Amino acid sequence: MFELSTNVATPKQLRNGDFSAYDALYLGDFSCAEYPNNFSSHPEFLAEAVETVKGQGKKCYLRLYAVPSNHDLPWVRKVIETALTLPFDAFEVHNLGLLQMLREMGSNTPVHLGVFGNLYTDATARVVKDYGVTRVYPNPELSLKEAIYIRDHTPVEVLVPVHGKIPLVISETCFILEHSSKAADGKCTFSCAQDHWLTRTKGDWSLKDTGRMTLSGSDLCMLEHVDELAAAGLNAFYVQSHGESAEYAAQVGEIYREAFTRAFAGQPPGDPAARLEALNGLAKMGLCNGYYFESAGRRYVGRA
Amino acid sequence: MTALLAPGGTTEMAFAAIDEGADIIYVGPLGWSRRPYESEMTDDDIRAVIDYAGSRGKQVRVVLNTFPSPFEMDGFLEKVRRFDAWGASGFIVTDPGALALIRRMLPQTLLHVSIGSGVTNAWDGRFYRALGADVIILPYRWGEEEVVGAREASDIGLEVFLFETVQTGKICPGKCIMSSYLKFRDWHQIEGKDYFHGSANRGAKECYRVCQTEWDFGAGGEAPMALKLRRDARLMLEQLPRFVELGVECFKLSGRERPTAMIRDLVRFYRKVLDGILSGEARDMALHADELAGLRLRWITEKRKRVDALMTRADGYQGDTSWASPV
Repeated sequence: MFELSTNVATPKQLRNGDFSAYDALYLGDFSCAEYPNNFSSHPEFLAEAVETVKGQGKKCYLRLYAVPSNHDLPWVRKVIETALTLPFDAFEVHNLGLLQMLREMGSNTPVHLGVFGNLYTDATARVVKDYGVTRVYPNPELSLKEAIYIRDHTPVEVLVPVHGKIPLVISETCFILEHSSKAADGKCTFSCAQDHWLTRTKGDWSLKDTGRMTLSGSDLCMLEHVDELAAAGLNAFYVQSHGESAEYAAQVGEIYREAFTRAFAGQPPGDPAARLEALNGLAKMGLCNGYYFESAGRRYVGRA
Repeated sequence: MTALLAPGGTTEMAFAAIDEGADIIYVGPLGWSRRPYESEMTDDDIRAVIDYAGSRGKQVRVVLNTFPSPFEMDGFLEKVRRFDAWGASGFIVTDPGALALIRRMLPQTLLHVSIGSGVTNAWDGRFYRALGADVIILPYRWGEEEVVGAREASDIGLEVFLFETVQTGKICPGKCIMSSYLKFRDWHQIEGKDYFHGSANRGAKECYRVCQTEWDFGAGGEAPMALKLRRDARLMLEQLPRFVELGVECFKLSGRERPTAMIRDLVRFYRKVLDGILSGEARDMALHADELAGLRLRWITEKRKRVDALMTRADGYQGDTSWASPV
């Protein structure tokens, strides 16, 4: 009926997290290859992880590093070579060079184009479909109308992020490391384990920074629009939990699982106030609706 | 051929750059090239630049490097047809789907992959070459080693910005939507575009260069530090001879938003430098160091003025700063 997915970066997170609300998991942190024990850069953890996830009856997708430089390509290729021997349901690819590489490696594993794949048009969806892409995560700047148009006019599925911070920037270098007083000889001390924020008082601006990725300060929240999404026939939904706690992924997943189950069963929407209160409590800088309703990303538009 | 590409933010700037020796001028039509209106051109102005350049044996590339909305692809392709018919020699494009459509429509035109495509490795060039692109513009972070890698990975032409290689900071063209997350101006109907776009990436009025203003940064509980998200780019000089040697075809001068006088002086300077390298008569870049120092200072000064102007606009525009609380 519908699929609700989220992301898991490491074996420890997979072991300790409660992902019972989710139908599918994206393994790996696509933003940082150095993140300790990251599935995206540690092929030795993949076999056990995919077995665990599939053993729970979930689909299992592998995230490939989003911004590989030339010197990253050899190790990324090794990760792909290992992953091709395992029963992954898809690889998530953000980089078009890797898309070309997968094609030339003869991969038949379905591909999901990731958020930094810059999918803005149906024309691009048709191009990447020829590279094995079956699902796209549209650029967050697209409105809901545009995402639905792409779904309706191409043979690819559209993933709809419904909650969590919006990925805004990805970089090949680590901003936290560059500005860390603790880093010795430029070596990573994993300072990103602490929350880092960029703030600008004059514009009332806040962004979360995880080193190589900058995320929205506010959490995207589509809880008030679950019925609209279901009515539009969208059925692949995603909770962005990068940089969040295990409790965040579990609680947010539970709230959306309940909401989508009800919406797809055709039951009337209840009062969302208590669940919104809970989601707001998990968000350090409030909630927003992203760009879905044709405004600047940090606005909260609310129910129409 | 090694070509010098120069900006045409206005017809005056385009004519000046042609007169000073640019081989190719790039211009952007209103609403389709990621720049504020004052640095884009009407179609009529673009035609005038094409005519002026053609009469002097120079070429014009039209920058159509927004990510168009799925709803405006017909309008996008109509622009392509029009500029091609008027004599534009090629296009600078970002969206892979749009690039593939143009290639199918115009087999002979020259297609450059814009910096906004977010290329990070040599296999990206291979992807775009397979799609029909002729030239790829290389990321600001790339040095000689990466140029060699790109050469080995495909036969796509290489273009570099005339900036020194930079390795730190958030330098993420094609991988950044910070500005539109924070704020953007509503679109007013112009050039047949009458609906939501959301960001400079998509043809809205402007990127506010939020990466170039000052932010406070830090972890909770620590005193934040004031910083910019990236440092100012420095005009290139020392790397030029080696890049020429490695077969970079196009050297691109940025600056559609800079004053015409500055672009005129920069085109004159880089024409002289490139001619010296190509003829083998002046390969010692130290000869130009003093002149470049003055130009670098002017560049930084003008750039900061521009960023301040954009931030003032962002601060002054209140249209999207209020939002309803969900709880």
